Amino acid sequence: MRADTHDIPTLKVLLVGNSNVGKTAIFERFVDDFYDPETTTATIGVDFRSKIVEVRDTKVKLNIWDTAGQERFRSLTSSYFRNALGALIVFDLSVYETFEQLPLWFRELRTYSSDQQVATVVVGAKLDKVGSRVVNRSEGMAMADKNGAGYIEVSAKTGVGVVEAFEMLIGRIMDTPALWKDGDVLARTDSVVAVDQVEEGTRYCGC
Amino acid sequence: MGARDKRRLPVQQEMQMLAAAAPLISRSSSSTPTPRSAFASYLVDTDDDWAAALEDTPRCQIDVDATAAEIGALTAQIGRADRFSRLLKAPTVDLQALRALAWSGVPPELRPVVWPVLLGHAPTETAKRTSTLAARRQEYYAGIAQALRGGCDSAVWHQIHIDVLRTHPTIALYQKETTKRALERILYLWAIRHPESGYVQGINDLATPFFQVFLSAYTNDADVQHFDPAGLPKGIIDVVEADTFWCLSSLLATLSDHYIHGQPGIQRQITSLRDLTRRIDTRLASHLEHQGVEFIQFSFRWMNCLLMREFNVRSTIRMWDTYLSEGSTGFSQFHLYVCAAFLVKWSKKLLQMDFQSILMFLQSLPTKSWTEKDIELLLSEAFMWQSLYADDKLMKCR
Repeated sequence: MRADTHDIPTLKVLLVGNSNVGKTAIFERFVDDFYDPETTTATIGVDFRSKIVEVRDTKVKLNIWDTAGQERFRSLTSSYFRNALGALIVFDLSVYETFEQLPLWFRELRTYSSDQQVATVVVGAKLDKVGSRVVNRSEGMAMADKNGAGYIEVSAKTGVGVVEAFEMLIGRIMDTPALWKDGDVLARTDSVVAVDQVEEGTRYCGC
Repeated sequence: MGARDKRRLPVQQEMQMLAAAAPLISRSSSSTPTPRSAFASYLVDTDDDWAAALEDTPRCQIDVDATAAEIGALTAQIGRADRFSRLLKAPTVDLQALRALAWSGVPPELRPVVWPVLLGHAPTETAKRTSTLAARRQEYYAGIAQALRGGCDSAVWHQIHIDVLRTHPTIALYQKETTKRALERILYLWAIRHPESGYVQGINDLATPFFQVFLSAYTNDADVQHFDPAGLPKGIIDVVEADTFWCLSSLLATLSDHYIHGQPGIQRQITSLRDLTRRIDTRLASHLEHQGVEFIQFSFRWMNCLLMREFNVRSTIRMWDTYLSEGSTGFSQFHLYVCAAFLVKWSKKLLQMDFQSILMFLQSLPTKSWTEKDIELLLSEAFMWQSLYADDKLMKCR
């Protein structure tokens, strides 16, 4: 399928979840290994970053879309769901309401991510907030299981679990036959535009 | 050691400054945060009339070793302030003339007076000004009291609260409790009065230039961004808060379908920006298209936050002098041309980039340190594109 062996598969993944659960903090910790709560503002629309990572001896390029959590942006952000291979669905371990909304996010993903399967990992964020946890681990895992997702708890502040969360997601993409075959992705696009642009393949390669 | 000698300006220059009405470079030694006199009667209701307040004697000092260029710049500044002053002192402010003058920038000292007039918050008739402003402020206080009576919509309040906490996280003023509480009330009242849109993230940013400008009238030349309004009398905070609310409301009224379901106003602007870019810089437009970059991916935020996320607040304030001078279409139309001018500015760089690099570059542009000069150049370029293409567009519509 790929003539050029140096061509790295590109995986479009998303960060979704309620407002202020810490999606951008996880995103920045992962991409830049950087955390500064003092400079975090609410994400407007969608932010984009790209990063090459190696999982199971395979290099992949992650195109990560960090979406705004507020309801009003939903019609915009959901347009980015199309052709996504995976999503981290983030909630705040210290705010129960953000956990209760997880089924809604699963539904959104299923509705808008076109007909292909999407690999998902439920991410409990702000693990470092000692004493304010209101969602326990087994509860979180049960919710993830029920929706066929992986589960991990992270702290963008300390960095704990952040890389693992993305690795888990990539692993789940690779384990999904509808998404991944013979070391390559079956569908890929970075864009919110039509799938037909994707077939040229080389368009998004490089740096 | 570092203190340089100061001397008074020659008499004739000082006379000019008297006429200029604004305490241009005065340094008050008073440590109590009383309102700066030129605006006291305007912003808080007193018996003095506005014109009399504008006669206030400015104090002006200049460095002994100031260069000819520095003195020249200062004189030009005074000349401008003088022209503003003359317009503002008229029984009825000539709005057209004020717009024409303010387009190229309003002296910081006069913004708290000029902006409300440009926005229609303060009437142009001097005689009506004090009573109108007093009535509108009362209306705001009553609105707040009513909105908060018997509990509030907790979902709306919660969203506003978490966003106010992360509004301009690097500026001290916005970390102060007094500021945060005021912004919460402003945004909450606006949200519940506009249920078809409600509070949308980004509107919090849009309130801040007003808050900062109106507050600056009372900071005694201290840097408003480092100011703690807690030290001010409550009556003054209330006035700043009420005026911010009304001016924000006026601005948002010109962007009526930006924040409703589906955000059609923003979608339309993004399409217009794409069309405009195709005409201004065909090469860039086709490069973006070829790379699979869609305008919505980078310019949604430009529209939703009026470029406030790309610039520092001071730059935004300078931009808004011009936007407000454009009348009711400043934020809806002229902004489009500013965005186009802004995008094509990076054309050379963008043409070398692929999809990923383009998006990452456009999402964190090197503009945080832009100066007033950079902003003014951008505004001039936008004006040029508007002159070239605005009529053209009309022709197409016919």
